[in-house]
Amino acid sequence: MFFHIVLERNMQLHPRHFGPHLRDKLVSKLIKDVEGTCSGRHGFVVAITGVEDIGKGLIREGTGYVTFPVKYQCVVFRPFKGEILEAVVTMVNKMGFFAEAGPVQIFVSNHLIPDDMEFQSGDVPNYTTSDGSVKIQKESEVRLKIIGTRVDATEIFCIGTIKDDFLGVISDPGAAV
Amino acid sequence: MNSIEPFNRLVKLAARAFYDDVSMKGDNQPKTSRGDNRGMAVVVLDALTRRPWVREEDLAKALKLHSKQLRRILRFFEEEKLVTRDHRKESAKNAKAHNAAAANDGQTVAKEGEEKVKMHTHSYCCLDYAQICDVVRYRIHRMKKKLKDELDSRNTIQHYICPSCNKRYSAFDALQLVSYTDEYFHCETCNGELVAEDDKLASEEMGDGDDNVRKRRREKLKDMQQRIEEQLKPLVAQLDRVKNLPAPEFGSLQTWERAHIGAFAIGDPAAADSSRNSQGQYGTPMPYLGQTKVEVDILSDGEKEGAESGKDGSELKVIPPWMIKDGMNLTKEQRGEKIESQKLEKSEAKDDKKQDLKDDQSVQEEYIKAYYEALRKKQEEEEAKNRMQQEGKISVPDSQTERQVGKKYKRDDDDDEDIEWEEHQPTAAGNATETYKLADLNAEAQESGDDEDDNVWEEG
Repeated sequence: MFFHIVLERNMQLHPRHFGPHLRDKLVSKLIKDVEGTCSGRHGFVVAITGVEDIGKGLIREGTGYVTFPVKYQCVVFRPFKGEILEAVVTMVNKMGFFAEAGPVQIFVSNHLIPDDMEFQSGDVPNYTTSDGSVKIQKESEVRLKIIGTRVDATEIFCIGTIKDDFLGVISDPGAAV
Repeated sequence: MNSIEPFNRLVKLAARAFYDDVSMKGDNQPKTSRGDNRGMAVVVLDALTRRPWVREEDLAKALKLHSKQLRRILRFFEEEKLVTRDHRKESAKNAKAHNAAAANDGQTVAKEGEEKVKMHTHSYCCLDYAQICDVVRYRIHRMKKKLKDELDSRNTIQHYICPSCNKRYSAFDALQLVSYTDEYFHCETCNGELVAEDDKLASEEMGDGDDNVRKRRREKLKDMQQRIEEQLKPLVAQLDRVKNLPAPEFGSLQTWERAHIGAFAIGDPAAADSSRNSQGQYGTPMPYLGQTKVEVDILSDGEKEGAESGKDGSELKVIPPWMIKDGMNLTKEQRGEKIESQKLEKSEAKDDKKQDLKDDQSVQEEYIKAYYEALRKKQEEEEAKNRMQQEGKISVPDSQTERQVGKKYKRDDDDDEDIEWEEHQPTAAGNATETYKLADLNAEAQESGDDEDDNVWEEG
C-alpha cells in the first residue's frame, strides 16, 4: 500500500557546497540518499515529492560539516499482510517461485501454488497446469496475496499465495479478460 | 408475539451451539455446591428470550444468580453482540414509588430487592434479535471459512528443515537459501538440501511421511467440516427461516418503556401513579415501574426464589406463544396443583430443602424439582406429565436455579426427549472431537430444559 507521508532526516553537508546553491544541493543529496531505501517502519521510500522545511544548520566541530534537519514529503510503499499485489516472477524453482512487486521481493512456496499446477524442470523451469493452459515462469505476471511479511530494519520480505480465488497468472493472453 | 417465536428458537439453538461451555472465570463463590457454572450462559439467554428489557437485578433474582455473576455473563453477551444493555440512574424516590406500587398489590418484596431499588444506577438488558441473526450467521461463516482455509493449507507459512544438521528455516528465509546451481534450498551452515516440513511427524519420517501426515490431517479437517454441517443444520435451517422475517424490534429502553407505559397505566392505577411521579419530578419516564410491579405480583404469592416463574406468568403477552410452541412445560404442569402434589411424593429425595415452603407457591418450586426428577424416569412419566399439563390451571414458567442446572445436566444426557434435540444427539454421540462447541448441543439443551420438554409434551 502506498502512503504519502512527511519524514524528517538530518542531512550532513560538506562545506564545499556552501554557497548560493546550498539549498539545491541539500535537496538533491536528500533525494539521492533517501529514494529507494527501506525502513522497517515506513516501508520503501519511492519518491520525494517536496521539501517542507529545512531547519537551522549546525556546524560540527572539527570537520566543518553542517547538519540540517530536513522535513520532506515522500511516497512510501509498504506491503501488508492480506494485501493483493501484482508482481513479476523473477525465479522459479522446485520450492516455489520468487516475484517482485516494485522493490518488494515475494516468495510463493509450492504448497501455496494451486494443487493442479506442477513443477516442470528444464531450460525454463515453470509451473504448469495439467492441461497446459496456465504457465508460470520467469517474467510471468501474477496476482498474489501476501500472507506474511518479515520486516527488518532495512528490508522487507513477503510470503505470498496464489491459491485463492482470482489469484494467479494475469499476463497470460488466454486467461485474460 | 408470533413473529418473535422463530427468533427465540434461533437464540436458543445458538445458545446451545456456541455458548454451552462458556464458563465465567473468577467466580466469587466456588463453594456454592457447583463450582462449574458452565451452561449458565445458556440459561441466561433462555431467560432473556422470555422478557424484553428486564432489569438485571430482577433477572438475577429470577435466576437465583448472584447479580455480579449475572452481570459478568451479560457483559460477555454484550461483547458478543447478542444483548443490548442500558444503564441509567434512578432516584430513591422512584424506588419508593416502585415499592409502593408493589405494596399495593399486596405483595412482599424481598429485602434484597428493596436495597437494590435504592441504588442509583440500574442496568437493563434486552436481546437484540436483528443483530443476533447477523452475529450467528457471521460466526458460522467464519467457522466454515477457517476450516476451508486450513483444508487448502492457505495462509500457512512453509517451514523447511535441514535433514543433516536439523536446522530449521521458514519461508521468510527463502531469499538466503536459494541456490543458483539447482532448484532446491540449501542449508546455510552445512549446505545440505532442505526439506519442506509439514509436521513434526513429517520431519521424522521424511519422504513419503509428508504425504501421509498431510492426508491424515486433511481427513481430520474434512471430518470436522462434515460434522459442522451436520450439527449446525438445525441452526442454519432456523436462520433461513428467520431470514425473511422482520426481526422483533424493542427499540431502546426509553422507547420500549414509553410504548408499554400506556398499557400498564390503564389497567393499573399504581403503575400510572408511579409513572406520573417520576415524570413530574425528574422528567424521566418510569414505565418500567409497571413492569416491575408485574413481576412482584407473582413473587408475592410465592417465595422470593419463585420470582422468575412469577414474572413469566405475569406477562400476559408472553404466555400464549410459549404455551403453544416452545412449550413451557413447567408452566403448564404447574398449573395443575394436583399433579404437583403427586410428583412431589414421587421425587422426595431432592425436594427436602424446600419442604418448609409448601405453601401454594412453594409447592411450585418443589414441583419443578420433582418434575426434573421425573424426567429421568423416561416416557412413562412423560405420559403422566402430559395428562397433568392438560389439567394445569396456573401457568408458571420454568424456574431453573443454578443448583438445578447441575443436576439436570447429568440427567438430561440420558433422556433426550426433545424432538429437536434428538436430531442433534446422534451427531453428538458420534463426534469424537470437541473442538467445536456444537458437540455439546445436547447437554446444553438439557440444562435449559424447557424447550425440549415442551415439545415432548406437545407430542404426548
